[in-house]
Amino acid sequence: MARLNDDAQWIILMGFLVSFSLFFLALIINQSTVVGQSTAESVIEFPKNDIRDISHVIKEHAEKNGKIDDRVYHDIINLSIQREGAVVNYTLNTQYYQRLDVFNHSLIHYNNGVTTYSENWTSE
Amino acid sequence: MVVRGFSLAERGVSEAIGFILIFSIVIAGIGLVTLYGYPMLLKQQTSANERIMEKNMIVLQNDVKSLAYKTVPYKETSLKIDGGSLTVYNSTSTPAVSRLDIRDCDPSGDEYIGAFQSGDLRYSSESAGTDISLQNGAVVMRPHAEPGSVMLAEPRWFYDAQTNTMVINLIGFNSSYTIARAGIGTVQMAMGETGYTRVDIPAGNLLCVVYTPDPTPEGQNYQVAWDNYFINSMKMTPTGTDHEYRLPTDVTNPAILVIKKYDVIIKSL
Repeated sequence: MARLNDDAQWIILMGFLVSFSLFFLALIINQSTVVGQSTAESVIEFPKNDIRDISHVIKEHAEKNGKIDDRVYHDIINLSIQREGAVVNYTLNTQYYQRLDVFNHSLIHYNNGVTTYSENWTSE
Repeated sequence: MVVRGFSLAERGVSEAIGFILIFSIVIAGIGLVTLYGYPMLLKQQTSANERIMEKNMIVLQNDVKSLAYKTVPYKETSLKIDGGSLTVYNSTSTPAVSRLDIRDCDPSGDEYIGAFQSGDLRYSSESAGTDISLQNGAVVMRPHAEPGSVMLAEPRWFYDAQTNTMVINLIGFNSSYTIARAGIGTVQMAMGETGYTRVDIPAGNLLCVVYTPDPTPEGQNYQVAWDNYFINSMKMTPTGTDHEYRLPTDVTNPAILVIKKYDVIIKSL
């Protein structure tokens, strides 16, 4: 019998290494679908434009009048719950620092069951 | 490896016995794989099918969410249904998968929603022995053999404490006939009619939800899943009467109850 030649042992070792790394990769790939999906969902879920729209409407209204018009107030609230399914509420105060320094202060509350958003806004 | 200093021993068993030894090791290996490995692979496949379908149902739930909350008129999703079948049960089908009543806790009080039936989109797996159902905006799952159920994805009901508002979204399924599908299919959904009810509840009035599961003995009972959702997620309190829960509204102040109803039409599977 010829001498044992162990020069090629590294091939087997490499084989082990590759197969183990494949195994771990498979585990990671298995997890990634779940993570990707939930991340994508939360990005879609965030109601950025709804919040912007509502906050914009309220601020515009506040700048013009300085006080809540009852009709507009209820319109904003009813539209947001009917169209966007979000509960919206806001308060508006006119405050006087000096005799001539008047500014509006508003607290905006938004909740659509997934995202709750509060804004504390002061006019210039 | 050759250890230097020793001569390589060439004495040993004959080649025939060596061959038999190696051969029997190979046969034993093959035997073990067929006996234990193969059934394990099959089981893996079954549970993979089930998991894929869980994900699919959550994708379908997202479609329903888009239709209902984002006023998207139409949605289409292609999916592969393995190891079972996907069936649509109308909101009018009997036995109803569940029934919801929303009313004043006082039995003589007003009833806001009477006997709402959601119907469901149900995946029934023969190999894994489970049902996964998309009903009323939630994804729930139950095993065939034993009682109990679990909610995989919650519906979007919420209570806003600042305005003392309870918002309840009811989503029903409708299709012109019962459709079932196995294999690759496309679920086409369209938005039907929507309903909106807003009720101002005076201070001191309690609001209750009554959830009645499928009453048939071998029926689709998802009581445990909904029970957990009502009590743990929505912070409702059981009133003591069967299947009745009190909504988490603040009784000392006037409350607002908003009920939105959506009708999702399933065009095809």
